[in-house]
Amino acid sequence: MMRSSALSLALGYVALGITVLILFAAPLWYAWQVTIAESRVEILQTDAQRLTEVYRREGAEGLKSFIDARVGMQIVGERILLLTDASMRPLAGNLKQWPGNVPTSAGNYDTEVAVAEHGNESALIHVANIGSYHLLVGRDNVLFKPLQTRFWYGLSAAIAVLSIAGLLIGLITRRALMTRVHSIRQTVSAIIHGDLQHRLPTHINEDELNTLSRTINGMLDQIEQLVHGVHNVSNSIAHDLRTPLAELRSRLEELALIRPAPEETFAEIDGAVADVDRVIRIFDALLRLAEIDAGMRRSGFVSLDATDLAANAAEFYEPAAELKDIELRFSAAGPVLISGDPVLLAQALGNLIDNALKYAPKNGTIEVAVRKREDGAAEISVTDNGPGIGAAEKSKVVERFYRGDASRGTPGVGLGLSLVQAVAKLHGSLLELLDQTPGLRVVLTIPADAVVGSAPRPSLAVEPPSPKPVATNLAPSPTP
Amino acid sequence: MKILLVEDNERVTQFVVKGLQEAGHTTDHAGNGRDGMFLAASEPYDVIIMDRMLPGDIDGLAIVEVLRKTGKRTPILILSALSEVDDRIRGLRSGGDDYLTKPFAFGELLARIDALHRRAQGIDHEHPLTVGDLHMDPLTRKVTRGDRPISLQPREFKLLEYLMRHAGQVVTRTMLLENVWDYHFDPQTNVVDVHISKLRQKIDAEFERPLLRTVRNAGYSVTADE
Repeated sequence: MMRSSALSLALGYVALGITVLILFAAPLWYAWQVTIAESRVEILQTDAQRLTEVYRREGAEGLKSFIDARVGMQIVGERILLLTDASMRPLAGNLKQWPGNVPTSAGNYDTEVAVAEHGNESALIHVANIGSYHLLVGRDNVLFKPLQTRFWYGLSAAIAVLSIAGLLIGLITRRALMTRVHSIRQTVSAIIHGDLQHRLPTHINEDELNTLSRTINGMLDQIEQLVHGVHNVSNSIAHDLRTPLAELRSRLEELALIRPAPEETFAEIDGAVADVDRVIRIFDALLRLAEIDAGMRRSGFVSLDATDLAANAAEFYEPAAELKDIELRFSAAGPVLISGDPVLLAQALGNLIDNALKYAPKNGTIEVAVRKREDGAAEISVTDNGPGIGAAEKSKVVERFYRGDASRGTPGVGLGLSLVQAVAKLHGSLLELLDQTPGLRVVLTIPADAVVGSAPRPSLAVEPPSPKPVATNLAPSPTP
Repeated sequence: MKILLVEDNERVTQFVVKGLQEAGHTTDHAGNGRDGMFLAASEPYDVIIMDRMLPGDIDGLAIVEVLRKTGKRTPILILSALSEVDDRIRGLRSGGDDYLTKPFAFGELLARIDALHRRAQGIDHEHPLTVGDLHMDPLTRKVTRGDRPISLQPREFKLLEYLMRHAGQVVTRTMLLENVWDYHFDPQTNVVDVHISKLRQKIDAEFERPLLRTVRNAGYSVTADE
């Protein structure tokens, strides 16, 4: 029980409450004791002085009758008076004899004395010696005792209420927490056993557990999606690798069986190598995707110019477009600094332009444009005037290994747009596929570079770059 | 060329050694890190081909690091089954000069070894390049064939410069992608071929003897030889 966090928290608060109460009560108690006791002693001393003066003025007889008068006047017990002679014989006052526990020497004493008809009572006593007489002046504590008692009762009651309430609140909180934690635990263990569809219960209010549950649910969504993705991918791999492997196998088997003429054998071997290359290409694409999905490439983020990147990509594909009589245009207003992975962004952009080249008609146009959005993000778009993508297909084209009807008969393994989407996701943005009637407009939005002045990534090229006397890739050179 | 191959896979070894032999190179082979380290440190080689993952406690990158620390400048090509960009960066950072992912085409390996060897002899960025009657001045960026000036786009200039620096050697499409465009992915369509044919139009079309040749199953080569 003590290990429950709710309970120990409640107990902690109780202890704190008690400490505060004591810190409050202790000075009060001290002030009371010191101040009130002192003023009471003062009153007794003044009394004794007055009696002493009566003795000086009127002698022992005068004092005796004065005391008798006082005793007869007042409420019995409130004030204690006793005058004795040197041999301790009582002369006047309301005590029958000098109390045994009060010394005869002058001073103040808080003790019990036997008052007539009242039995023992606690009282504050002042003793003074006048000539050879002993004078005892006192006041009982009857008025102060209940106050004291009430003070202690009050304090104890406060502590008791605090402790019980704290314990109760702790127990209730613990119960409530345990109920919710229990339901979370049940869900989580269902998930551990493989049922990824469960989600933690959430409420409308935004308390801590609820926020945590929501976050965990978000994580579960992501995990489910990933697991689903992996499942799909492994199915697709099985299918898409099987095809070229089957071709390869039959090709080799045929070679072994037929043993054709050397010329034909070499041609078949070349074909077999091409089959293997196709398998390797699929593998490379999948590995790259896995690498991106794992989020490992975020370390490769540097500050770079989106315009420069897009201009280079457009320039790279321009001759290929020309060959197909497609006009490839590039437009940009100026440099747009973003934070990203240059290798992956170049590949993503390459894939987009490559796709556009596949689908744009003869004499068609492709436009690559970079625009700086108001929040500083770079909006890179690739627009073609090909057949476009139907609404039903839009969500599918980014799926791994999906190949639309329009792609039949074109080379490719159906991973291009998946890679672009994965790259977009890695850069914290989404891939937008917009209708262009006719055609398709793909928009990739990369957030602005937050870190100013991060070092540019060194080129991965093996050979040291030659000194650049001409601004080859510095200016956004629009392709003709 | 005298080449050291440090590689534990027997089939790959057989394939590479035989291929290098046919290309006229002598090859020593070490099957593990210890032998590889010993040979690399004691014998003079023109190029070392180093597998990244080796049996035993010494891996390829460790050997490369030790060799570089002891001042050996022999060009090293790292072979690896790890294709991720970060692995490539790590390989080059440890002191490797080039990085090739397994599986690879032999033509690619051979072309890269030639390029490494050429590079080790020093790149001169200032002196004019000449192949047959084709001249290029990297400083003034003037290109002429015979006495006719040829006007090139900046990227075409870079492409031709790379080819001419490796004149007489085979240069693969991947090497061109990496070194001319700094692209580290497979662009699927034959974009490099299209760039080459555009370049060929400018430097070869109106001349009798073509200089820019296609090498089947490997890549391209600029050469004045018959």
